[in-house]
Amino acid sequence: MSGARRIEEGVRRPDRVTLRLDGADLAACPGESVLAALVASGARRLRDDREGTARGAFCNMGTCSECTVWVRKGAAAWVRRRACLVPVEADLCVLTHAPEAT
Amino acid sequence: MNASMSYDVAIVGGGPAGMAAAERTIGAGLSTCLIDEQPRLGGQILRQPPPGFAVTGWQSGRLYRAARALLARVERLDAFDFRAGHAVLGVGAGHAEEGGFALSVQPLATGGVERIDARRVIVAGGCYDMPVAFPGWTLPGVMSAGAVQTLLKSPQVLPGGRIALFGTHPLMIVLAEQILAAGGEVAGVHFAQPRRAMLAALGPRLPGVLRAWRPLLEGARGLANLRQAGVPVHFGSAIVRAEGGDALEAITLLRAGGRERVACDVAAMCYGFLPQSDLVRQVGAAVRWAPGPGGWETLCDEGMRSSLPGLYVAGETAGVAGSDVAMLRGALAGVTLACDAGALDEVEGARVAAALRARIARLAPFTAMLRELADPQAYLPEPELETLVCRCEDVSARALDAAIAACAEGDDGFGASAVKLRCRAGMGLCQGRSCEHAVIRRIARASGREAAQVAGFTARFPARAVPIAELLERDAPAR
Repeated sequence: MSGARRIEEGVRRPDRVTLRLDGADLAACPGESVLAALVASGARRLRDDREGTARGAFCNMGTCSECTVWVRKGAAAWVRRRACLVPVEADLCVLTHAPEAT
Repeated sequence: MNASMSYDVAIVGGGPAGMAAAERTIGAGLSTCLIDEQPRLGGQILRQPPPGFAVTGWQSGRLYRAARALLARVERLDAFDFRAGHAVLGVGAGHAEEGGFALSVQPLATGGVERIDARRVIVAGGCYDMPVAFPGWTLPGVMSAGAVQTLLKSPQVLPGGRIALFGTHPLMIVLAEQILAAGGEVAGVHFAQPRRAMLAALGPRLPGVLRAWRPLLEGARGLANLRQAGVPVHFGSAIVRAEGGDALEAITLLRAGGRERVACDVAAMCYGFLPQSDLVRQVGAAVRWAPGPGGWETLCDEGMRSSLPGLYVAGETAGVAGSDVAMLRGALAGVTLACDAGALDEVEGARVAAALRARIARLAPFTAMLRELADPQAYLPEPELETLVCRCEDVSARALDAAIAACAEGDDGFGASAVKLRCRAGMGLCQGRSCEHAVIRRIARASGREAAQVAGFTARFPARAVPIAELLERDAPAR
């Protein structure tokens, strides 16, 4: 866990929705990016590299692709996206690892 | 590919340059499509809070005033098509008979690939933080200054409890103030260069710089604020390593007085910025190695025309110079394009363009001073042999050096692509954006060349990583 947090003073946000992250529930604000929700929750390790070493967010502007995750809206198919470019919405599932073949 | 849409102008990038260009092309009556990956206009410097958020006093600092005024004007325009949340994967030749360009774009929300046709294109892709490899830099918690800043600006998230800043760029002062204003703790601001080097860059240019005095004043005021808030600001304090287990716990810095270990959960690097140049390189426009942090800036004439007829550049893609210059260059590109398209009277266009160029010239001394003052080249930390240089393909400095040595046996003039083929550096999801400058510099050092003499990675479609299934998707229903 990090000391990350949402800034509350002077900020009004929409009501939280529940994001399904690696099978667990995470409260997040609609419109903020999935990466912002992950960072705000204190999550730091977003993936492992080939050596099994932890990796986290790096650029937050779509350039480095370190935050690439799998996302699924409702019953749609899983797609790979940069988490910094995916807005949080209801019925969104996120996996930090590849979904198992079904 | 799905349905095609056709425009007089397609502008890639909704930051200050792209917005200023759009304002001019729309004003000239040209059908304009503005494309950006982000959900809202503004670019990185004005990364807006998400829709539905209300933030009191958002970006109210003086440094953002002109860009904010532009944003407000462009958001009121309704005569253009803003493709938010669309990634441009490629720019290629358009119809065989009609000419122009065809852009491949990926709507991030719905997926697939669509085609946008445009008679002319302005690439205003902006820039990104120079990624710098040193021991421990891949630990979660080590990030770019831009990442911290955009998390603060848009979703209003503080990424850590104690944030340390290091590098060579004075933007660190602005960022440190923003962290404090957000209620965060700054665990130190570490300029790698000594104070006298910064003063030496400032001194001789002072008369010209004073014509653009606002940023200087803001910098001095910011430094005073940080000192008053008790934030340590060090000069000649260079990062050696980042430490931690599964995430960052501390950074170690080296300076004249010895080593200092600074506990922090975020450490943000700020060594300057590289132009986003993948699209212009992909379509074949001429570029040159940029000064300071490096990367590729697009060559253009005084009207922002690239070497390819019909392709214009604006903002940092044409060379990193800050948002004030980016706005002026964007407007200039829009005016030139409108004249070339016959949508603006030549005489009127020339008059407006001359006025814009005069304003750019007034800012030039400040831009040149900042570039020299912030130049990271003499202060870059050294990776160890086991340090990963390519983050995507996990290529260490050792593996990179072996590939460079192998290339050198066959060919004196080898470039970054030859090295990439041997060790996979630059072959990953970021398409080489993170490691290219480092690969080029390592090749230059090993072969006794200047970085500018080393060819970069061949820029290829797609500019962003996109799943094959989405590239192949055809005849999907209209969205």
